[in-house]
Amino acid sequence: MGLFSDIYNTVAKFFRPQEEQGDASKSVAASRLKLVLMQDRTNLTPKILEQMRGELIDLLSRYVELDKELLELDFQQEGEQVALMLSIPVIRAKDEEEIEATLAAEGINEEAEAEGTAEEACEADAEVQTVTTPEEMTASKKDDEIKEECQSEA
Amino acid sequence: MTGRVIVITSGKGGVGKTTTSANIGTALAKAGYKVVLIDTDLGLRNLDLLLGLENRIVYTIVDVIEERCKLKQALVKDKKNPNLSLLAAAQTRDKTAVNAEQLKSICDTLKEENDFVLVDCPAGIEQGFQNAVAGASEAIVVTTPEMSAIRDADRIIGLLEAKEEITSYKLLLNRVRPSLIKSNEMMSVDDVVEILSCPLVGIIPEDTGIITSTNKGEPIVNDEAALAGKAYRNVAQRILGEEVPFLDLDEPKGFMAKIKNAFAKLKAKV
Repeated sequence: MGLFSDIYNTVAKFFRPQEEQGDASKSVAASRLKLVLMQDRTNLTPKILEQMRGELIDLLSRYVELDKELLELDFQQEGEQVALMLSIPVIRAKDEEEIEATLAAEGINEEAEAEGTAEEACEADAEVQTVTTPEEMTASKKDDEIKEECQSEA
Repeated sequence: MTGRVIVITSGKGGVGKTTTSANIGTALAKAGYKVVLIDTDLGLRNLDLLLGLENRIVYTIVDVIEERCKLKQALVKDKKNPNLSLLAAAQTRDKTAVNAEQLKSICDTLKEENDFVLVDCPAGIEQGFQNAVAGASEAIVVTTPEMSAIRDADRIIGLLEAKEEITSYKLLLNRVRPSLIKSNEMMSVDDVVEILSCPLVGIIPEDTGIITSTNKGEPIVNDEAALAGKAYRNVAQRILGEEVPFLDLDEPKGFMAKIKNAFAKLKAKV
């Protein structure tokens, strides 16, 4: 049997289209290259990207329950324009009470927060120019802590 | 007459700048235009070898700048084509022997009496690059479908964009291997163009004929049968403003490839 299946596989492999045979190393190359070029062009380091990703998760978690592992933050280029694309896998939307509770726990005024969200969304979509000051970093740390507290309470 | 000054650059070394310079220069000269090739890779000159002119060089670009000879004396005529001449780099000096202003003035003088001045740029983004670009108003960025070459080309494109004198730059994708693209092991022409978002001036297939043509000191454009030669002739025509379709490199060659292809299509239908 082994001999026959070997022969079959060899013959089958010969007639298989080439695309299936090669590993898709070119798409790996293309995506790695796209990322590294965006970093080269914008001076955004992977560290800052990771931080941005974390802050966005914090922000969005106030309103929706999302799959943090699958959240994707990528650059995309359309012609001359570079855009930051955020793909957010939503598990479920939080209801108003939950959102209010989260915001209250974080000590955030609702209206001010709404403005902040709009602003940040604009920034993410437009030119990529993120300057992160040390103050902001500590702020994000605090957010983290607060959020963890919220979750443990829930 | 005011000729066009085109710099051939890449950032990364070994992607085929010098081969490209020699072939485009030869093709333009064959088409009846007066062409001067300038090798600006001081200390690492090679354009003379590719043209088979290494034994005829008496004066170099540094001799011209340091006024040991007139510019005309330093121009070496091609063996076959009197329309083509070479201004060689100095082999015993380094990039600091020349500055951007001096190179620009040489280009300005040469373009008065020639249709094309092609400047073969050294690898890197330092002084040598700055010198080579100084006199040019157009650029051809040579790259291969490899990550490192593309990244460096992107850097070069960024630097060219910042230069006011450069009014147009185009991409020449060299050493393309259709078989690897087919098996998804090499980025395709479309991939590279999309990533760099730069217009194409040519696609040159990998061709073992390049090795033998370099051995003989004879650019491959002179070989009517070679695919790479044809691709370079097409580049020259595009530089001259003609619309030439890009070569279709995807044609499967040979009997076995055809059978395989037919079966693959059959399978796709089922």
